[in-house]
Amino acid sequence: MIQKKICMIGTSGVGKTSLVARFVSSIFSDKYLTTVGVKIDKKVLTVDGTNVTLVLWDLAGDDDFQRLQLSYLRGTAGYILVADGTRQITLDQLLDIQARVMEAVGPVPFVLALNKADLQTQWEIGKERIEQLTAQGWHILLTSAKTGAGVEEAFSDLSRMLLAPKP
Amino acid sequence: MPARESAIGAVFETLGFALFLREEPGGLKLAGEAPAWLKEIWPGAAQSGAMLEVSELSPFLENFLIDAGECWTAGGTSRVKSGPWIEGTDLELEATALSVNGQAVLLIEQLGKDFETRKAVLQKARETVIAYQRLNTEMQKKEILLHCIAEDMTGALGNVITSLRLIELEHDPLKTRRLLELAMLATQEQQNIIHRVLDVFADELESLYGRAGKNQADAEVHDVMQRALGAVQSEYQEKRVRLTASGFGTLRVAVDAGHLERVFVNLLENALHATPAGGEVKVRIEAEADTVLLQFDDGGAEIHEEVSEKLFAKFDCSEARPQATALRLHFCRIAIENCNGEIGHTSLGTAGNRFWVRLPGFHPAQ
Repeated sequence: MIQKKICMIGTSGVGKTSLVARFVSSIFSDKYLTTVGVKIDKKVLTVDGTNVTLVLWDLAGDDDFQRLQLSYLRGTAGYILVADGTRQITLDQLLDIQARVMEAVGPVPFVLALNKADLQTQWEIGKERIEQLTAQGWHILLTSAKTGAGVEEAFSDLSRMLLAPKP
Repeated sequence: MPARESAIGAVFETLGFALFLREEPGGLKLAGEAPAWLKEIWPGAAQSGAMLEVSELSPFLENFLIDAGECWTAGGTSRVKSGPWIEGTDLELEATALSVNGQAVLLIEQLGKDFETRKAVLQKARETVIAYQRLNTEMQKKEILLHCIAEDMTGALGNVITSLRLIELEHDPLKTRRLLELAMLATQEQQNIIHRVLDVFADELESLYGRAGKNQADAEVHDVMQRALGAVQSEYQEKRVRLTASGFGTLRVAVDAGHLERVFVNLLENALHATPAGGEVKVRIEAEADTVLLQFDDGGAEIHEEVSEKLFAKFDCSEARPQATALRLHFCRIAIENCNGEIGHTSLGTAGNRFWVRLPGFHPAQ
């Protein structure tokens, strides 16, 4: 069976672990528990008739207290960038992180999950910003680990990109 | 197994470490006794003389062994740590690769109390950062709000001052009277703005801290709507907007009557502001199984449904619209949600917009 390593990347508190928990175990908790280090999960997904085992590396949030260890990205087939839609700053910080990731792993496929879409009234990331990133070729999904909206799509869209024949 | 190696292995086992020595060609073999956690997660590797099949057991360790290999090749006193990782559901481990007298060593440690302390500190630090970011954003929004309130009040105050200055120069009693009326209207507008601001913050405080000692809320929709219609009647007449209401009846809802009247007035004012002069606003009340539905249809420009949610936010970061409208609708949302009701918006296309409110019915026993 095809196996692909996918890393969850973003600053702290954006919901990387919650997205993985929703995707792998269909569970959600409102309580914020910080990730220190790495947690690896696996899930088999069928994409357009092809079974693929996703090895999900949930990496600790990159912030002033802990830097993203680039060695964890070794061999990654793709990654999911995660930002918290209710905190604009997490997207600003994510752009810096993405530049470092890009330097380390090269141009591998990725998607951007703007998480906490269930909190629309507190949403801070404007439509213009999303359109701007989309125009740069970014594949963006609004996700909610709480309701499950967009979560399966984020992983399956990335898997589809990973399975697509390389030009 | 040499005695010295066995003794060292026993010490590590007692400390909760698994000690592996690299054997040529390329394999890791357990030295000494296996700690309990190793027997639990990788029983095959915990048996005496068994090799650690990293690629089958742990993708994390497999990745780390590449860094470890570089460390072993470098030799000397160099060492490399993996950083913490979680194996299985909740086993927290950390690996260290080092060389001892030319022997490649891999130590895997179950993280204990020190790590829990470190994690607790990180948890607190990150929670604090998130709280600080939210507070910072809230402060920025409050500054914008204060600016908007000041702007709104300055406009009305400017009208009062202009009227009074003109009165000073005016000798015609009729014109003076008219100017006094204008000044009075501007003063009332200022008062309305102040009430609106106080409404928003009073209800936010109530939603945060509850309403201690408050009696069970109960209002009759018909009575409250009549009062609200009376309150906005002159504004509608002034703008020549027709106001029609239908579906009245005796319907009791579990909502504070004073709050409900403010909500109705706000929604009627919102509809009036959106509707062009000569247009029409329709209000409809319908009894449902356990709830009461109210619909306020205006004749304003279509608001697309993708921005519906934002209409009820106190601040809208992406769409420009009058702050007074935002405050009006924000107050409505707070008041309605506080009594377990619902509020929403539906586009009527080119015909305008519908703002609807669903209120819980009043049942004395509830």
